[in-house]
Amino acid sequence: MAIINVSIPFRLIKQIEDYSRIVNEILKHNISFNILKFSTTSSGINLLLEVPEDKTKEITETLRSNDIQVDKKGRVILDEDKCIHCGSCISLCPTDALHFTNKDKVEFYGNKCIGCLICQDACPRGAISESK
Amino acid sequence: MTKTYKEINQKIKSGDAVVVTAEEMIDIVEESGSKVAAEEVDVVTTGTFGPMCSSGAFLNFGHSDPPIKFDHLWLNEVHAYHGNAAVDCYLGVTRKLDKRPYEYGGGNVIEELVSGKEIRLRGISDTTDCYPLSEVDTYITIDDLNQAILCNPRNVYQKYDVAVNSTDRTLYTYMGKLLPNFGNAHYSGSGCLNPLANDPDFETIGIGTRIFLGGGVGYIIGHGTQHNPKNGMGTLFVKGNLKQMSPEYLRGVNYEKYGTSMFCGVGIPIPILNEGIAKKTAIKDEEITTEIVDYGIPRRDRPVLGKTNYKDLKKGFININGKEIKCSSMSSLYYARKIANELKEWIEEGKFLLNHPAESLPTDTEFHPMRQTSEIEFVKDLKREAVICYHDCDIKVVAEKIINQNINHIIITDRHNKLKGIVTSFDITKAVANNEKKLNDIITKKVITTTDNEPVDVATRRMKKHEISALPVIDDKNNVVGIISAEELM
Ligand code: SF4
Ligand code: SF4
Repeated sequence: MAIINVSIPFRLIKQIEDYSRIVNEILKHNISFNILKFSTTSSGINLLLEVPEDKTKEITETLRSNDIQVDKKGRVILDEDKCIHCGSCISLCPTDALHFTNKDKVEFYGNKCIGCLICQDACPRGAISESK
Repeated sequence: MTKTYKEINQKIKSGDAVVVTAEEMIDIVEESGSKVAAEEVDVVTTGTFGPMCSSGAFLNFGHSDPPIKFDHLWLNEVHAYHGNAAVDCYLGVTRKLDKRPYEYGGGNVIEELVSGKEIRLRGISDTTDCYPLSEVDTYITIDDLNQAILCNPRNVYQKYDVAVNSTDRTLYTYMGKLLPNFGNAHYSGSGCLNPLANDPDFETIGIGTRIFLGGGVGYIIGHGTQHNPKNGMGTLFVKGNLKQMSPEYLRGVNYEKYGTSMFCGVGIPIPILNEGIAKKTAIKDEEITTEIVDYGIPRRDRPVLGKTNYKDLKKGFININGKEIKCSSMSSLYYARKIANELKEWIEEGKFLLNHPAESLPTDTEFHPMRQTSEIEFVKDLKREAVICYHDCDIKVVAEKIINQNINHIIITDRHNKLKGIVTSFDITKAVANNEKKLNDIITKKVITTTDNEPVDVATRRMKKHEISALPVIDDKNNVVGIISAEELM
């Protein structure tokens, strides 16, 4: 299971139905997920969701296309000295935060990373770690 | 027009040789044709850099005083093979550190050795009259070794399968982490840069061919194990002096829940002796096809789900039944290209000459499966009849069946024998204690199952993994055809 941090701004939740509409948006993919944490901030609602690894991409894309933020804090870091540019992490990344450059080197866009950690245990060089 | 090795080497020595990489050769042949290319180009360089599990090193430590004949020895606590003379050993790259099997292994030790790091050598012996020492515990570096010879019985696969996972759980395989429900795909190999793809008929690659190996010079010493050129799956047996190699091109890798291996850099020069060879070295990624294979089925003959080629693979997507699946490599194209370029520089600088193979590699061998003299057991051989209740029956009925028949598992089906769930004696006890009435509330609906033709070991592994003690056996239409439980497997 992957963990994603979802922020729904108040402007999208005018009434309670909006909230269920958003959750339905996720459920439409016919998946089950766990809400690990529910909190509110001055700007909106924060949900920490546990979702199946293989559905993370779909969910992230759906939420984002609905104007909902999926964590942008970037919770992994890539140690470039350890990386051998094999690519074992790339097909796993739901947001293309890890991708190949046109020279086939692996590059990491921290601001695209949602910290789902799907990539971390796939790296055979231990080059991906959770940033504190 | 034809050229000889001698003529090409003359040009290399005088600094006149035209050397290009296999990627560059594609454009040259496309623009000028293979005839002109054969005249102009002398050498095409290739490269590959990926996990090569059949790799390892022969090491000789010299004699201790008093002398020891190892019975067992460990390098940084990784067990090395010792079935040779007193102080020789073979350290294989897939040998895992027993305590941390997915974190460290033989490949890491070789990388550290080549980096010049100190390695702990620990060994024990039964002792003999001529080798009285029973224990050694010391630190060595590669400079302390008499010989350190990288010797890899199978490297440089011509191409490889693309791996996907049809099951509903994440798999950790030698093809990396595979997400459930075809969530991603992994491939391996450098496509048009692959050495054997550029000389598929082994016209120039043979025994004695000098190559780039691990950042140093190495040699092909034969065809590799499982060499299967008839099916486009040739392999090479290579060796080289580890002492002149570089840790940049020998990297220990550790795959979570799978094990350890080593990335090994190999580059092979192809002398352009004639137009035919020139043409072959212009092979394009789209001409190298490979099969998409379901690693969700843990059998030797895994189902093939489709075909693809290295051009599409390198783009990052494959297609299965109209569904686009993100794919990436496990081997490094960046380093494969770097190796081809480095080898090209060596030749251009006159540092590296080509040689005529002492013998050609076989082109007609095939790869046979293992002869298994003890029969493999399948689920159908060990299953028994399942005790079944319908999903709409009363908890009491289920409880009675469990008691009367002295069993632990009841399978729940609908009236047409389709699997609906499973109930254990523990579930029933709990239900009775909690005064639950409805069967539907207590059954486990997401059932882990098996099929008649699954090997028993595979079913057992699944039970252990999910910490359960029985699996309903179903057919391809979800009909219950039996049950297999831990008791039968004991
Ligand atoms: S980089 Fe890793 S943690 Fe970040 S989004 Fe991609 S897979 Fe998830
Ligand atoms: S899996 Fe690790 S070593 Fe391979 S490209 Fe990704 S970060 Fe680099």
